Amino acid sequence: MTGSPQWLSMETRVKPAVFDYHRPDNIEEACALLAEYGADARVLSGGQSLVPLMNMRILSPAVLIDINRCRDLAYLREEGAAIACGALTRQSEAETSDLVASRLPLMSIAMPHVGVRASRNFGTVCGSLAHADPLAELPSVASALDARFVIASSRGRREVTADEFFVSALTNCLEPDEMLAEVKMPAIAEGAGCAFHEIANRAHGFAVAGVAACVEFGPDGRCSRARLSAMGAGDTTARLSPVEALIEGQRLDDALIRAAGAEAAVVADPAGDVHADAAYRAEAIGSLVRKVLRQMQGAAVER
Amino acid sequence: MKAIEDFTLIGKTVLRREDSYLMRGKAQFLDDLPEPKGLIHLAFVLSPYACADILSVDASAAKALPGVIDVLTGKDLVGDIKTFAPVIEIEGYRDVRRPVVAVDRVNFVGEYVAVILAESPYVAQDALDLVEVDYDPLPAVAGIEEAEAAGAPVIHSHLGDNHIFRAAFETEDFDARFAEGDLVLEEEFRNGKTAGGMIEPRGCMAWPDPVATNFTLWTPTQIPHIVRTAIADHLDIPESVLRVVAPAVGGGFGTKAHVFPDELIVVALARRYGRAVKWVQDRRESLLTNMHARGHILHIKVSVKQDGTLCGVYLNLKTNCGAYPNHPYSPTLEATGCARMLPGPYRFQTYRYDVSSLITNTCPTGAKRGTGQPSAFLAIEGMMDRIGRRLGIDPAEVRRRNTVRPEEFPYVNVVGVRYDTGSYLPSLERGLEMIGYDAFRAAQPKDRLVNGKYRGIGICNYTEVSGTGAPGWRVRGFAKMPGFDSSRVVVEPDGKITVYVSQADAGQGHYTTFAQIAADRLGVACEDVTVVEGDTSKTPYGTGTFASRGSVVGGGTVIRCSEKVGVKIRRIAGYMLDADPERLVLKDGRVADPEDAGRSLSLREVAETAYSMNNLGLPQGEEHGLEATDYYDPPMVTMANGTHVVQVAVDPEDGRVEIERYAVVHDCGRVINPRIVEGQVHGATVQGIGEALMEEIVYDADGQHLNANLLDYLMPTAMDVPELELDHIETPSIDTVGGIKGAAEGGLTGAVPAIANAVGDALSGLGVNITRVPLRPSSVFEQIRRACTEKEGRA
Repeated sequence: MTGSPQWLSMETRVKPAVFDYHRPDNIEEACALLAEYGADARVLSGGQSLVPLMNMRILSPAVLIDINRCRDLAYLREEGAAIACGALTRQSEAETSDLVASRLPLMSIAMPHVGVRASRNFGTVCGSLAHADPLAELPSVASALDARFVIASSRGRREVTADEFFVSALTNCLEPDEMLAEVKMPAIAEGAGCAFHEIANRAHGFAVAGVAACVEFGPDGRCSRARLSAMGAGDTTARLSPVEALIEGQRLDDALIRAAGAEAAVVADPAGDVHADAAYRAEAIGSLVRKVLRQMQGAAVER
Repeated sequence: MKAIEDFTLIGKTVLRREDSYLMRGKAQFLDDLPEPKGLIHLAFVLSPYACADILSVDASAAKALPGVIDVLTGKDLVGDIKTFAPVIEIEGYRDVRRPVVAVDRVNFVGEYVAVILAESPYVAQDALDLVEVDYDPLPAVAGIEEAEAAGAPVIHSHLGDNHIFRAAFETEDFDARFAEGDLVLEEEFRNGKTAGGMIEPRGCMAWPDPVATNFTLWTPTQIPHIVRTAIADHLDIPESVLRVVAPAVGGGFGTKAHVFPDELIVVALARRYGRAVKWVQDRRESLLTNMHARGHILHIKVSVKQDGTLCGVYLNLKTNCGAYPNHPYSPTLEATGCARMLPGPYRFQTYRYDVSSLITNTCPTGAKRGTGQPSAFLAIEGMMDRIGRRLGIDPAEVRRRNTVRPEEFPYVNVVGVRYDTGSYLPSLERGLEMIGYDAFRAAQPKDRLVNGKYRGIGICNYTEVSGTGAPGWRVRGFAKMPGFDSSRVVVEPDGKITVYVSQADAGQGHYTTFAQIAADRLGVACEDVTVVEGDTSKTPYGTGTFASRGSVVGGGTVIRCSEKVGVKIRRIAGYMLDADPERLVLKDGRVADPEDAGRSLSLREVAETAYSMNNLGLPQGEEHGLEATDYYDPPMVTMANGTHVVQVAVDPEDGRVEIERYAVVHDCGRVINPRIVEGQVHGATVQGIGEALMEEIVYDADGQHLNANLLDYLMPTAMDVPELELDHIETPSIDTVGGIKGAAEGGLTGAVPAIANAVGDALSGLGVNITRVPLRPSSVFEQIRRACTEKEGRA
């Protein structure tokens, strides 16, 4: 179905600037439309970020490609050692999924922080990732989980890492004819500790800063693998690699946790805005790293 | 009048009749109203600059867009609408007038620069981007201090500087009496600018009659009669040709108790084009252009005896007026309000204040729930804690020693306001008891650190101005604010009751409470009473619903009016029953003679006589009909009171404030409907939590509004609200009809100081001095860090 301004009566106009609307039935059709319209087009999935931006006319795409009829993109499934999540999987589906709870517990515990229940019923996991907001929860979860981003176009498919996918604030690495088709997240090892905390000026809404962590321990109780990523630490969600290096191979004692927090505050390179200044964000990330690691101490001891 | 103990429905929880349509989405708000044919939709071009000269407006591309009817600038409207200003008569106030659409100069971001008239709202929106305005940006001032600095740009040149209002007050021998204290403490408090935050943005729609001589304006206002008077005045039309109707209103909170330029514009354009005209704002426009509030700087000095009692208080208050005075209150509302309300429940009789309001290049400020009171109590209650800390006296005890004692009522405070009754000390004691104050203090370590968090308690003992009458408005300069409200109570021919009230409901539950009152006074069931309000063509003139007036003045007039009708009912029934009207009783929908138990008449039978629908005729000299009209001008002000006691934990790792316990004791005199009062207390307290912990409109130094959306302007949601423990004390007024006092604002007034004081108490061991709200994690953390650095420096 297509429309053009000439065909629309005034009564059917909507608040955003005028746009053409397409509703493909599968990913091939979606990619064909993207190949045709390229930079003029935007992909509409849950619409929780795109639609408000269009209503405020901050974005005025000439063409909307609505993928909500592409049922081939709505799935959450185990593929080998990874969980694959299609572009049309709603956040609320991931939130209540047993598969996610057992294999990707970090995503399960982070999900209640994503928007509100009503927005999670519409919003998709991949939509939030593609929006690439450095203060959003799911990009930092994907980053901590070493997710692979499956990118589709009529030219074929390619896979990138989180580092490659998130280019800068609200900018991903997609070419004009590409869309994010799937995100693949390796299952978390049994017994690994997972924690997610954030600081916000109110109980829901955008966070000031957040930290997602997944830490594995060896039989000696030492940290064998640490993956921490931070929201609000820079213009993309980013792994705290120096902090990970500091704790890997070590026991998570109080001195190490203090040192890790201090290192995180130094590594973070946040921006200031109306919600918090940059200095506070750095300190907040330090305190969140201490908080998630203190929670890990329990996981290490339990083994 | 029936004695208080005879109340049957007043004081009972009756479920809100309006909830049935509100909760099911059936209410008709402005944008739900059916639209007439040929409706013109408006959109306003907003200034992107805080201060700029308008060099030119090129609307040719916009006018060429199909569906655009016209584009008008301020110059095009000069002949239709007079420049806009409130009528204020008080020493120290200087007149500033506002063109409804800017002419030559814009003075704040969001000021109207041009208005687009289009066949659909979407075309109007499309046309906005096509209007080319050439501006010459000028230096702007956003803050109070910048506005009063030497050499600051003068925003309205005829003033010579940026002061729009100054006032001073001083009791006799102030200096000598102030000097009698053993020590003087001083502090500067500040609060952020905030917005009313109602869920429904504003909008309005004007319909002309077929020959465009009479007009109906639908506008979600709290003050329909005042809106009508202002429009008639500024458009030079008779008040009699204009009808103002408030449809269902999605929250007002004071913001909708103003008259706005767009209300004048839609009526003027309906007159000019002879077509209906509608405008609805979006959230960004709502936050950019509706009234803001607060943003005060309060410098307070107190003189104190060793025992903690106050010898005198000095207040220097500065308020941010914004670019223009609001209509109808002007900035004197907050300035005089705050200074005159600051004495609160305290006994001091030596007081001086200097207040000033400054013009800045920001959105005009005006009424919001609490007006000056959250600021006033932030200052005076903050000082109570500081006195305690300085003298080693428990802060609750400092308050006890300064509070008006029960035997002193009626008490006249230092600015001449009469407190007829009140429960100031009992309310404080009850609040302390609810929170377990003594046990908490006994267990509280000196450094306040418990399980890794700093824990403290804050108190706010407040009074709440309500139901202001004419003298209360005159003394603050409101030359045309009536003060009274009115009602007309009609017993219809079938014996059912219609109550017309001059007020306008914005969610307060008037349709239930006024029905309760009339039913109580006339001895009928609640269901037999219909309430009509918010329509100037149906109700007599009145002041409207703001500043906690609804129950005091609206309730008062419905009581009086119902009783007036009751007299006539008894007269006619007495004639019909051949009994002394004085002894007849209105009960269960009947008029009964208690001395003759078998004899009574239904209200319908009496009404049929009054409306000449039987063969009985009327007593000699009696007129037909069964109704009365009443105008009730309440006392100067009526003071409610209450106490908030809050326990918080502050996490030193990230500066987060968590409310652990929250107790509210509330005394609004005679309670009409306990459930509705609880709702008011809850809602206002939550707004206070917002002002204390998160809400703030942010302007940068250039006057750019940085958070005109609800992602960035943070208001609390249900998830931020702790369990509120509520208790009521009921101390009826002896001055108001029915003993009613107001209930709508105290929750906000109590919450802000109590939370600030609790954080101050929690961090007192660190030497942190809390003087400013909102207390966001970042600002609390920064203050903790600075205090710790200073401590280390000293060590």
